Order: sequence, then C-alpha cells, then structure tokens
Amino acid sequence: MKQRIGVYICHCGGNISDYVDVEELGKMFHQEENVIISKDVMFACADSNQKDIVADIQANNLDAIVVCSCSPKLHLHTFKNVAARAGLNPSNYVQVNIREQCSWPHSDRPREATVKAAGLIRAGINRVSYSESLENIELSVKKSALVIGAGVSGMKAAIDLARSDNEVFLIEKDFFVGGRIAQKETLFPTNQNGKEVVAALYNEMKKFPNITIFTGATVEKVSGSLGNFSVDIKVKPRYINPNADKKAVKRAMEECPVSVHDDFNLELVERKAIYKNYPEALPDVPVVVAEALKDATDFTGKFASTLNLNEEAQTLSLIAGSVLVTTGYDHYQPKEGEYGYKTISNVVTLPELNRLMEMNSEKLVYKGKQIKSLAFIYCVGSRQTKGDNKYCSRQCCTSTIHTSLQLKEKYKDIQTYHLYRDIRTYGKQELMYAESSKQGDLYFKYEEKEMPVVSVDGKSTIVKVKDYLTAKKEMEIEADLVVLVTGMVAREDATTISELFKIPIGRDKFFNEIHPKLKPVETVIKGVYIGGTCQGPKNISESVQSSLAGASKITALLKSGTVMVDPITARVDADKCTWCGKCSDVCDYTAIKEVLFGEKHVAGVNKAVCTGCGICAPVCPVNAIEIAQYTDNEIESMIDGFMQDVIITEKEAVVEEKDEEGKVGMKEYPLVWREILAGMTDEKNTIPEIVANTKLAGELVTFHLMTMNRYGVVVPAGMDAKETYYYYKRK
Amino acid sequence: MSRVNPKFATELSKYGSSDFNACFNCGNCTATCSLSTTDSSFPREMIRYTTLGLEDEIKASLKPWECYYCGECSSECPRQAEPGELMMSLRRWLTAKYDWTGLSGLMYKSLPLSIAAFVLTIVGVIAFAFSTDFNLEKMMHVGHLFEMIAIATVSVVILLPNIIRMWYFTIQKPQTKVPFSKYLKASGELFVHMFTQKRSLGCDDNQLRWFEHFMLVIGYLSLLFITVFMNWFSTKYLAVNIFGYVVSAIVFVTTIDFVSSRIKKSKAVSKHSQPSDWFFVIGLFLMGLTAFLTRLFIDLNIIETNKWMYILHFTILVQWALIIVPFGKWTHFLYRSFAMYFVKLKEN
Repeated sequence: MKQRIGVYICHCGGNISDYVDVEELGKMFHQEENVIISKDVMFACADSNQKDIVADIQANNLDAIVVCSCSPKLHLHTFKNVAARAGLNPSNYVQVNIREQCSWPHSDRPREATVKAAGLIRAGINRVSYSESLENIELSVKKSALVIGAGVSGMKAAIDLARSDNEVFLIEKDFFVGGRIAQKETLFPTNQNGKEVVAALYNEMKKFPNITIFTGATVEKVSGSLGNFSVDIKVKPRYINPNADKKAVKRAMEECPVSVHDDFNLELVERKAIYKNYPEALPDVPVVVAEALKDATDFTGKFASTLNLNEEAQTLSLIAGSVLVTTGYDHYQPKEGEYGYKTISNVVTLPELNRLMEMNSEKLVYKGKQIKSLAFIYCVGSRQTKGDNKYCSRQCCTSTIHTSLQLKEKYKDIQTYHLYRDIRTYGKQELMYAESSKQGDLYFKYEEKEMPVVSVDGKSTIVKVKDYLTAKKEMEIEADLVVLVTGMVAREDATTISELFKIPIGRDKFFNEIHPKLKPVETVIKGVYIGGTCQGPKNISESVQSSLAGASKITALLKSGTVMVDPITARVDADKCTWCGKCSDVCDYTAIKEVLFGEKHVAGVNKAVCTGCGICAPVCPVNAIEIAQYTDNEIESMIDGFMQDVIITEKEAVVEEKDEEGKVGMKEYPLVWREILAGMTDEKNTIPEIVANTKLAGELVTFHLMTMNRYGVVVPAGMDAKETYYYYKRK
Repeated sequence: MSRVNPKFATELSKYGSSDFNACFNCGNCTATCSLSTTDSSFPREMIRYTTLGLEDEIKASLKPWECYYCGECSSECPRQAEPGELMMSLRRWLTAKYDWTGLSGLMYKSLPLSIAAFVLTIVGVIAFAFSTDFNLEKMMHVGHLFEMIAIATVSVVILLPNIIRMWYFTIQKPQTKVPFSKYLKASGELFVHMFTQKRSLGCDDNQLRWFEHFMLVIGYLSLLFITVFMNWFSTKYLAVNIFGYVVSAIVFVTTIDFVSSRIKKSKAVSKHSQPSDWFFVIGLFLMGLTAFLTRLFIDLNIIETNKWMYILHFTILVQWALIIVPFGKWTHFLYRSFAMYFVKLKEN
C-alpha cells in the first residue's frame, strides 16, 4: 500500500473548472488518508507545473501520484515521464479523466459532474495505492527476418532488409519468384515489362550473400515469439538432378511427352510436365510434375540421369527475429454462369485477357476467332453490397483502362466498351482514363441493382446494359469478347498463414493491421508485420510502399539486438494454479503454455508474446492468473472508491455575488479570469500591461483572454499606438 | 433497346465534329447552356447519343436546331470535347439526312466534289455567255428569268420534300400525336423564328451577334425580293434603285465581319470552319458585292464595256441557287425555323 500519494486536479484552463469545482475537490482529497498533497492546478501539463510535481515528489518523498485531467490517451506518457524524472517508477502513476468523462459531457449539470469527478478521483487514489513498481521487459532478438512470399513486395523488402545487415530468409510457395507481376506483360503506369522487373529484382537479391531464397517452400510450423521465431519450412522437390547437364535438362523439357494444366497461364493453355512458368523464369531450373510422368517410363528412362524422381521434400528450421508476411492475393474467380463465365464461350476474366495478350503478339485471337471488340464489365467480385466482397479492389479500374490502351497500341483496330459502376482512376492514373476516352473507348455506367446481362444472339455475343449516362436507356453492345474485370480476394491459403502466426483476419478475409493510419503494417502479434496485397487490395506501388514500411519497422526493431516490451502482461500464481488449461485455451496469442514449477504443472506466460489483453483472468476457476496493473485489488478498490458517498458543500447555498458588469456571476469565473479582470486597471489594457499588473505568465494571459473574449467577458478595443498589441476591455 | 454503333463517330467526323470522345459525361455543358431547359436539355444528351452512335434517336431529335451556338459549352468543357462544335456537326449531318437527293451529304463530306460542282457552274455560265455572243441585254433577261425559275424549282423539288422528310423523322416516325388545329395555331412560331431568330437572343454571348445576323437576313431577303420581283437591275424608280444599293451593301458589309471573324477565329462560333461554312459566307459576300457593283456599273454606264462584271455576278447567282441553297448551309434558314415550329407542335 502506498502511504504518500500526491493528487493534482487540473482546471484545464476552464475546460474542467467551468463545470467541475476543482478547488473544492482539491480541498476534499487533502483530508484523504495517505494523501500527502492534493491541489488544483491551472494546467497540469504545463512545463512549470510538471517541474512543480517533480519538486513535490522529491521534497515530500511521494511514492505514487494521481493526475486528474484529460484522457490518458493524451497525457498518460507525459505524467509517467514526470514520475520517472522524479525517480518514481512510472507504474506508480494513475491518470483520472475528469474532462472527457465529467466536465465536457455533463456541462449542463456542474454539480453532478463534480460528484462524478470526486468518485473517479477516489477510485484513482485507491488504485494507485495498490500499484507496484514494474520494469519493462527486455528481450534479446536475432538479427534475421523471414519474408514470406517472393512477389514484388517480398523481393523489394528482402533487398532492403539485407541492405540493413539483417539475415533474410525469403520463402516462396511457387517454384519461381515474381508472383502476380510476372503474369502481366506491361505494368501501369510505367509500361515496364513485368518479367523484366522480376528479373531485375532477382539479380539484385543475388548480390546479397545474406539473402537466402527458398522456392517451392511453405511454412509448416511456427513457435517462439518476437526476437526468436522458430519456423519450420517444407521445401518441395523439383525432381531435377542438381548435377545434371544443363543441355540435357533443356532437352528433357523439349522432349517431354506429357502435358499438364498451366496455372501460370490461368489454364488457357497446357504446358509440358517439365516446365518453367515462362522461358526466363527464375530460378533458372525447371520443375518436374513427377506425378504426371509416372507412366511415361520410356521418357523417364531416357533421362534417368537428368531427373531425380525419388527426390523427397526437405524440412528446414529457421530462426527469425521478425517476420514479414507478403503473401499477396488471389484473383476473384467468377462463379460458373456469372455474366456467362464458363457457360458462354467468349467470356474471360481480365487476368486471362492479360495472358491472352501476351500469347498473341500480332492479332488478338481467342478460340480461333479474331477479337475486334471487347466489352469490359467492371467490379466483378468487388463492391458487392450484399455479397462477401464489400470492398473496392482499387487497382482494377486503372488496370482495365491500361489494358485498353495496350490493346489499341498492340492490335490497332480494336473497339472497347467499358461497363463500369464508378471509375476510380485516382491520382495520376486519371490521365490514363482521359487518354482512353480520347482514343474512342466507350463508357457505360451501370448500377449494382441493374447489372449487365451477357447473352448469345445467333453467332454474336450481346451485352445488355441499362446505361445511367444515357438516361437509363437500355443499350445493346455486340462484343467479340466479354471481359470480366475481377477484383482481388484474400488468398485461399491466407487462413493457414493466419493460424500459424495468429495474424487476425478481417471480415474481408485479408490480414488486419493494428491501425490503418497509425500502425499500418503492424499486426497485434509482436514482431510480425504485413506488407503488400495480403493486407487488402493495392496496386504495385502501394504494395511496395507497405512492404518497405514493414522492412524498415523490422530493421528498427532488430537494430540493437534487444527490444523492450511493456510490462503489462498476465502472471500466474504458481501456488494457486492447478493447470486446467482454460487460460491457454482462450488465449488468442498462444502466450500461455504448461510449464513445470518444481514438481507441479502450472500455466506459464510468455511475456514476449502476451499483450495483456486480460481474457485469461476471468476464466481461471481458482483465480490464479492476473494482469499487472489490473489486479483484483486494484479493480476492486476502484469500485469501492467510486461507490463511496461524496459530500460536497452546497455551492448554490452560498450567496451569489452577482457582478455588476456581467450577467455571469464573478464567482462562476475561473480564478485566473478574476485575476486577469482585476489586472485590467485602466479602461482598456494590452496584454503586457495585464501581465505586469497580475504577475501571471504572458502565454496564460493570452490564452485566457481569448477564451474570455469567446465567452463575452472581455472584448478587443482597437490597437495600441504602435499597432503591436490589441487593447482589451471589460464587456 | 438501342444497338451501340461506335462507327458513327467516324462518320460524323467527316461532318466536322472534333474530339467529342473526350467527354466524360459531367454535364457542365448542359448546366452552362442558357437555352437548355429541364424539359429539353442539351448538349450532353446529344453528345452521348453521338458517342454511342444512336442514329435513330439523333434523327428524331430537334435539339441540334435548338442550339444557337454561343460556344459557352465548349469553353466550359473540362475535357475540351467541343460540345458546341458537335451540335454544329449534327446540324450538318441532319441536313444531309433530310436531303432526299443525298447530294448535301456528298458535298459536306467531299471538298473535291464541292469544288467540281462550283467549277461546273462556272463553265456552264461561260458557255451560256458564248451562246448569246456576250449580248448583255439577252444575258440579263435570261438571268432574271433563271432566278425566278430556280427559286420555284428548288423550293418545290428539293426544299419542300426535305421539310416533309424532317417532319417525318421528328414528328411522324416517333409517333407524336399532333391535332391538325395545332398545326395552324403554332404556325405563327414558324414565321417569327424565320424572320427574327428570336431564340438566339437567349444566348448569353454578345447580342451584337444576333443583330448582325438579323440585319443580314433582312438584307438578304430584301435583295432577293428587289432583284427578282422589282427587277432592280432594270428599274427606273429611284427609290427602288437606292433601296437596292442599301440592301446589297448591308449584305456584303455584314458578311465582311462574318468572314473576318472566321479568319481570326475570334468567337467560339467562328473557331471551327468547314468548307460549307466558307462557301456560305463568301457566297453571300460576293453576292452582295457583285450585285452592288453591277448596278453601279449600269448607273455609271460602263457595263457595256465591262460585261465581265455581270457575268461574274451571274456566276455567283447560279452557284448560290443551284448549290448553296438546295444542298449547302443556306437550308439552316428553313430547318431552324421549322424546328422551332415542330418543337411547338410537340409541346403538351
């Protein structure tokens, strides 16, 4: 129990003292047991006052302080630092919010506001009297980072992390790096070739000996926490003999008699069972689909020394100080029959069109027919007010318009129709929209409630749309190819990653950051960051921005080899604990595990992982687990304190001295106002004159004169002769 | 249900439309237009129809004629899509569609063809002069006769059927029910607009433009009247003679301003000039000027020694009557006033 407590009650200029009788409260708590100092202050956060508090603590040997002012979100750290400066452990500080919780919401009932404030302050005093000194927890960390996903985001982040002397493990599920950007021939807005960007990044990575790339690799198991994640990865076999002659490998690729689905080309074509995603794909080693070659014994026999069909998957263990997840997105896959997808032969998705464009260099041909007109239907699988994907996929408008410009450039004689809901070519991308409409692309606006209909009329495909730009007239568009502009969805395997690392998933199934503005790449799991489109729809620049942000967060975190974490965590009373496992079951962060305490099995808390959320405390049947700073003693004493009767001297009973000049009684003004008014000796005074008369600080007078002016207590009365200061006079 | 036809844009570009594809449907043009109303709003709707190639809708619409081209829409357009010029091109296109002979369209689209037609008339006139042995009296007699016959023929054979076609496209085909009595009641509208161009006063730009145009119309009609029905070139009455001088002078003086503003591109309306626009304003100018000079030469008694003057005037006259009036820009005089009349008929 603390014996020497200091209580400071803030006027906040008048923000609090206009309604809450802070002077009265100051006097009241002076009589409280264990309270050595209790006073009202004009601005608790002012520098001068902070110094006063430090002096009070040292002079009176205070062992705890309570400041009753604004929200702890604003000044908790200010006063914790004050305590620290005075040599007091910051955990022995409690902030009571009597502004947002008393004076502001109850300005119509000043008396009740004062009673409530008294209750809250007493609760605060009770709580602080049970406070204990806590120290931040220091963890040593390994200077290595695991980056999951070698798309453009992951590769850029890996390079930055490596440049800052971190050891980097970059793992990629596919057998080749590059991710989605390799699937697009030209990228907006730079018109760079996606494959060239991939190659450039890959070659850059190769320059760093501290980057290790694993392809065909997946995360299998994760344990440990911030600073020391232990991650098991499984590397699938390529079934190519590592010592095989390169020419023989090439010949095997050419002669392979079996074809399989081509995922890279979105199954528009087939590929050999020994393949690379595309000829320049990296790493420059093909992959064998061993399953498909099972019956081709002649072939496998011929290339027995090149292929190694008995190769097995390897499991490796990595230790990483921090993890950056850049697993990317999946294209939304339209349901069968959605706008005729899979039921009408010439309906494709935008990613499929992009593959087609790359495969057709001279003429755009699909299923043997030359394509001269295309109808794009936007927002397929996005912005579904009634469906799952309520979000906007953000990059598809620009992607489509860019594709449309590319179509015209590449194939010349082509007409495109764009059926959109809203065009969102934000920022500089708007110029592409202008260019597109200037080249004669036609735009139609539809609403979700009246979606376009794709139908077949004899040999031609017709899209019918109620066009909101033509007074909702029904339009018929004949198109050789209907292109569904599909949005981004969370990857199917995102749930696996989420379960392994405990990253929370939003309703949209993408990974969640802590705060979209203030902690945009941080997850609630300490040491685990997210970047790129695994977090939600982004274009390439935005993806790279976020993954680089994650990389710099990690660099900063691992820089010194140690990190400090907040001491507000769960703790177990080993004597009481009977290890029933209930706390461990409810913990979202797997921070609680069974440990041995002497001979006894009890719950153990990993302080590096625990966030102090408190979910474990109420489920414990024997009350053996509690959260630091939120102990039963503290909480119960707060309740007791708040419930105590508050006796306030009836202010209203005191004879109201109505000021002659104003409608508001002088008694109702804050003390400082009265001082200022007393300092206004002449008919009109400038601020320096008032400062001289009152001996108050200049800023204080300025601040209050402005407030007094707003409340109609004083008014400006012209400027002085030198036109430097305003005159003020009583109203 | 309307079928989208992007090829229409290419077709219309031959009639002088410019960059209307740049339009992103903001509607600023309609908002800024002082003639557009809630019941009849333009030009955005017409731009949209054009972009999508809805020919039937455009043919049935009178809105292109409701615009008097102050150019404010074009200067307010955030995409420089030139809505004003689009409305102008639509008027040219509609003129071509109304014309049953199809010659209007050919001449709008093909400059060489128009030039060929003008050269042909020159050759014809010179051949005619030869045939009369350059007998001035004979030429002038035939010239006067030609004027009367041409007016009658062009009116009956070309202009009347075209007006009927316009009525068919805009009233009959869209199945607008108009009681006969309304045709009579509204007929006043036709003449008011024909002789005053009252509606263009609603435009926000300089009212001087209306006045100039009004003077030109009055001058032109008076010149027509005085040459054809009062036989100005042979008249003995001083008053008629002086009146002839005045009106022909009005015609060529006002057209000087029209031509020069097209050269300087000083106003929105004169910024874009198609060959048909040049033929029209230059034709009018030469008509007024040569008529003035011919009569001057007669009064100065030098016409016998300067027969070329009359031959020149006659050439202009023939070109005017056989090319510009039936197939050129002259027809806007009729279509605009009839459009206002039809709009009145369609009103409830």
